[in-house]
Amino acid sequence: MRFSARARAVTTYLVLQMAVLGAAAPLFAQDFYKGKTITIIVGTKAGDAYDLYPRLMAEYMPKYIPGSPNVIIQNMPGAASMIAANNVYNVAKPDGLTIGAIYPALYFDQLSKKPEVRFDWSKFQFLGSPVVSYHLLYMRSDAPYKSIEDIKKASTPPKCGSNGTSSTGYWLPKLLDEVIGTKFDIVVGYQSGGDVDLAVERGEVQCRAFTITAWFAREPFITWRKTGFANVLFQSGEKRDPRLKDAPTIYELMDKYKTNATGRRLTTVVLAASDFGRPLVFGPKVPADRVKLLRNAFDKIVKDPAYIADAEKRKLDVEPIDGMKLQKLSKEVIAASPDVVQKMQKLLGTGE
Amino acid sequence: MIEAFTSGFWQVLAWPAFGYLLLGIGIGFWVGLLPGIGGLATLALMLPFSYTIKTPIEAFCFLLGMLAVTGTTGDLTSILFGIPGESSSAALILDGYPMSKKGEAGRALGAAIMSSLIGATIGALTLAISIPIMRPLVLLFGSPELFIITIMGITFIGTLAGASLIKGLLAGGIGLMLAAIGVDPQTGSLRYTFGSLYLWDGLDVTPVVVGMFAIPEIIDLAVRGTAISQAPKEKLKGVMEGVKDTFRHFWLVVRCSLIGVYFGVLPVLGANVAQWIAYGHAARSLKDKSRAGKGAVEGVLGPGAANNSTRGGDLIPTIAFGIPGSASMALLLGALLIVGLQPGPEMLKSRLDVTFAMVWILIISNIIVAGISFLILNHLAALTFIRGSLLIPFLLVLVFIGSFTANNSIYDLVVTLIFGTLGYLMLLNGWPRPPLVLGLILGKIGENYLWISTAAYGAKWLAFPSVLILIAITISIVAYPTIKERRGRAKYDRPEDAV
Repeated sequence: MRFSARARAVTTYLVLQMAVLGAAAPLFAQDFYKGKTITIIVGTKAGDAYDLYPRLMAEYMPKYIPGSPNVIIQNMPGAASMIAANNVYNVAKPDGLTIGAIYPALYFDQLSKKPEVRFDWSKFQFLGSPVVSYHLLYMRSDAPYKSIEDIKKASTPPKCGSNGTSSTGYWLPKLLDEVIGTKFDIVVGYQSGGDVDLAVERGEVQCRAFTITAWFAREPFITWRKTGFANVLFQSGEKRDPRLKDAPTIYELMDKYKTNATGRRLTTVVLAASDFGRPLVFGPKVPADRVKLLRNAFDKIVKDPAYIADAEKRKLDVEPIDGMKLQKLSKEVIAASPDVVQKMQKLLGTGE
Repeated sequence: MIEAFTSGFWQVLAWPAFGYLLLGIGIGFWVGLLPGIGGLATLALMLPFSYTIKTPIEAFCFLLGMLAVTGTTGDLTSILFGIPGESSSAALILDGYPMSKKGEAGRALGAAIMSSLIGATIGALTLAISIPIMRPLVLLFGSPELFIITIMGITFIGTLAGASLIKGLLAGGIGLMLAAIGVDPQTGSLRYTFGSLYLWDGLDVTPVVVGMFAIPEIIDLAVRGTAISQAPKEKLKGVMEGVKDTFRHFWLVVRCSLIGVYFGVLPVLGANVAQWIAYGHAARSLKDKSRAGKGAVEGVLGPGAANNSTRGGDLIPTIAFGIPGSASMALLLGALLIVGLQPGPEMLKSRLDVTFAMVWILIISNIIVAGISFLILNHLAALTFIRGSLLIPFLLVLVFIGSFTANNSIYDLVVTLIFGTLGYLMLLNGWPRPPLVLGLILGKIGENYLWISTAAYGAKWLAFPSVLILIAITISIVAYPTIKERRGRAKYDRPEDAV
């Protein structure tokens, strides 16, 4: 009897202990960051738009991560941020002290099975993105293409400029070719988006696809909109941007031209890059409690009025998307069916 | 317009703008001197500090003032140690460092500072004068024209070849091949990357140039076991001599400044290319061609002027269209937005004072930095008389930190070592190094413009009048010295002239 009473006591003690430990676990994570330094590895050079967001975030993180760790930025540019992504996934210690700030479209490379990809996109632990970026395609208004219909019918295709095969300027028109049946002639090789805009001014090319944000925030577009130098022919969001009431969305176009199911799935997979925005990620083995802590901090930062005011001052859009949503999305894009993957490879020119 | 011109001047001199200007100059001075840590990276780091500045002119005093002096003080490091202080100062090594070895460091420094000042002033004045014609000036050249201009640049490989034309052409060819490394921008296929992600973006010019030029000089310094200068210390003077040289070759300095301005206006090209073209032009203008690379002061004046005048040119597309002419301008644009000024056509109308303030910042900051430099040039020149064994550890640290800042990658150091070895072997066997660097810089640009031209116009661009004119100019540049030499010789061959 005594024995069993003792056993009961031990069991109770153990249960209590476990309960205390269980409750303490988050406490451990909170303590963990005290006096530590978090490094955000940014996959671009300093000063790039992809660099500006993490730098802004870094200023607010100590306030919202329990233990107020130091947060520093390390630029690890190269290979469209794939060097940084591989590093965060494989090399960095999975202790929750290394965050990656990487390109949203890196999963294209995984789907097209590039051997250099050393990560599984769906196993990155997404903390969130401070912004989602939808795209548009502008066309010089003196060109004979006033609508997507005109482009479909045209005997000579319009020439769009792009600064590389991995940029929006390349894959957005290509996607339209695939799902709507337009024919764009894409001139690749410009050094930057600005170079393409200059080429459009000169009349070397007539169109370019890029973010809606820039169209409304920057020159030369402010002048172009004023003088009617260029028009927007379509946009990539699910709903029309309130500022772009006259431009159809790609979904409306797909309805109009009766795109088949494969084409629609392809569109979903490709345009998911818009939602990934400018993602912040942890590697796959970072403990769940630390991921949770950082996701919470992210959600609070993007709601902080001081952060929002600061971002607006720096002309950075605030349209955050949280880590859980991105996590779900990452599983969806990686689970894309083989026919979609094959189309995608064709689209990006990476297939055999 | 005159009103905006003077208003811009007084706004730059007003407090606190002038204080910001001095602060910017102070930072830029050291950034320029230290190899590798370039104006661009510093601009990115300093950007957050400018967020607290209230007006566009004050912000520009700080940022543009800083950027403007890096080009000048970068030249000093190239001359003194044979290590490029900025990647846009590498061409200064070719004749500047041999001058230091001859004990003429003071003269070379004086020449570099004075030509930088003139270059910056010409750049700034061109910016001011071109305000009414900015937009057509930028739009004048499209991709086909830029391709021919790149070809024109490649022909300078011949000038930079030095003693052996064959070796020069081969070195240039190797440079062009090295430029092919990386993701091909047209199709996205990988070229010569051997499974390395680092090579995806191609070879970065900074680690290549630093390795190519600095490592061999450090080895040489160690082998010789002396100070950098092989001449006795008594000869240490001549800063004023360098200043006088600038005025002796005034038109050369002006021409090289104009080369710099125009390369600044053209997208993508810029100071990194302009310095070599200006050097090539200066070397070609020598009466005794064999002096090139052996410490001819003209070889300091040309690139010294050109890499400073590009700043004025850079600003032209930035102002005319709101499209940045270079990476550093892209950062400046960001700073302008934050202080509430939309860069672009507005700056030619309602905020013309800001545009003129930029002109004044370029001029005033260079005058100030020249003034400071003259005070310390003799002390700097004295460094070339310190025993090599004391300098070498310090120089090696600078070299590797400098390379590392290119991509913050360990492979930057590997590239530096490989090209350091290659550079040393080339030096030993009498192979010229500048053609390789020029090939590397121009190869990628040329390839891109050729592709774009063909994709946009088919073969039609070959018949554009502007292209034909540029081709004719290129041919005449290549042929002229040869013809002139033949004629000169023919003249000499006549007996009456020989007497």
